[in-house]
Amino acid sequence: MKMFLKLGLTLLAFCMVATALLAYVNSLTKPKIEAIKIKEAQEAREMLIPDAEFEEVHGAIDYYIARDKTTKALKGYTFTAEKAGYSGAVKTMAAVDSSLTIINIKVVQQTETPGLGTNSTKPEFAAQFSGKNASQLIVDKDGGVAPNCIKALTGATITTRAVTNALKEYIDILSQEINGKGEAK
Amino acid sequence: MSFISELTKGIIKENPIFVIVLGMCPTLATSTSVSNALGMGMAATFVLVCSNIFISLIKNVTPDKIRIPVYVVVIAAFVSIVDMSMAAYLPALHKSLGLFIPLIVVNCIILGRAEAFANKNNVINSIADGIGMGLGFTLALTVVATIREVLGNGTWLNIKVMPSTYDPMLITLLAPGAFITLGFLMALMNMIKEKK
Repeated sequence: MKMFLKLGLTLLAFCMVATALLAYVNSLTKPKIEAIKIKEAQEAREMLIPDAEFEEVHGAIDYYIARDKTTKALKGYTFTAEKAGYSGAVKTMAAVDSSLTIINIKVVQQTETPGLGTNSTKPEFAAQFSGKNASQLIVDKDGGVAPNCIKALTGATITTRAVTNALKEYIDILSQEINGKGEAK
Repeated sequence: MSFISELTKGIIKENPIFVIVLGMCPTLATSTSVSNALGMGMAATFVLVCSNIFISLIKNVTPDKIRIPVYVVVIAAFVSIVDMSMAAYLPALHKSLGLFIPLIVVNCIILGRAEAFANKNNVINSIADGIGMGLGFTLALTVVATIREVLGNGTWLNIKVMPSTYDPMLITLLAPGAFITLGFLMALMNMIKEKK
């Protein structure tokens, strides 16, 4: 009995030291990590809509209003759309102009099948979204007619659907948000 | 055993993947491309060396009956500290290696070496063992990844090496392809060993 108590206490001591260390390191690094994340997201937005300043809006979805740095004219909106793909969430960052036509997209996070679904991160896949509006966001396998549709990636229709439908959903919500607030200038 | 022989044994004679067959989960997951393999290999080597030093240092105060839970706590805490510090102070490195760090926690090579080597040997030899095993792991991963990436994607380190008419064998990039590749490589290793 005494031996078990001693073993338990020893393990407890190890765990307490480890936890204390982790808590200490976490308190040191957390603000730095968050600052880096915010900076990275900012850089990604600037890549999608150059020469713009961004204003964050929290609504039904979180999005950013992009205005020209000098003229303050509305350039568009950026947001990160998310939907479940073949094996986990697929996150796509997108920029749309003031009439909600897609300027550019980038799949920023995915865990899809290597060699099939991972092709969604390639620029060729992203390119076909440019210039599309919400009504053209339909995968060809779901009845879309070229050129007003998105061509599914070979062997990765589910991934294509995740990206396309997520963007469509978010643009629809965004459209309601903007019109509801009378901000569509 | 001397420092040098501890260092070299992990590379061929006791290669963690081909001979000891440890760490199969990260092997399958990260050998789809050479850049992933190198990243995982380096991150694992770093953690392996540090955890070996640590386990070797505390081997005299660790009661034998609860050594495994203690190792798990030490390794998990250590990996998390490395992950957090890297994300905060070396963001560029974290971007390329960060993906593999959570995978290292479940890499049984680390626990395997702690149990089989570091808790019986001194710090210097444990460092040698960590470096050797880490290099062996990196080397084996790279070999598997080379075969999988060239056959499955027609590229090596993202550089195109196969002619454009080559139709990639997608199966090599999927899990079954990893097992088949690994099987052939192990057979090859055994053949070479038996000839000696």
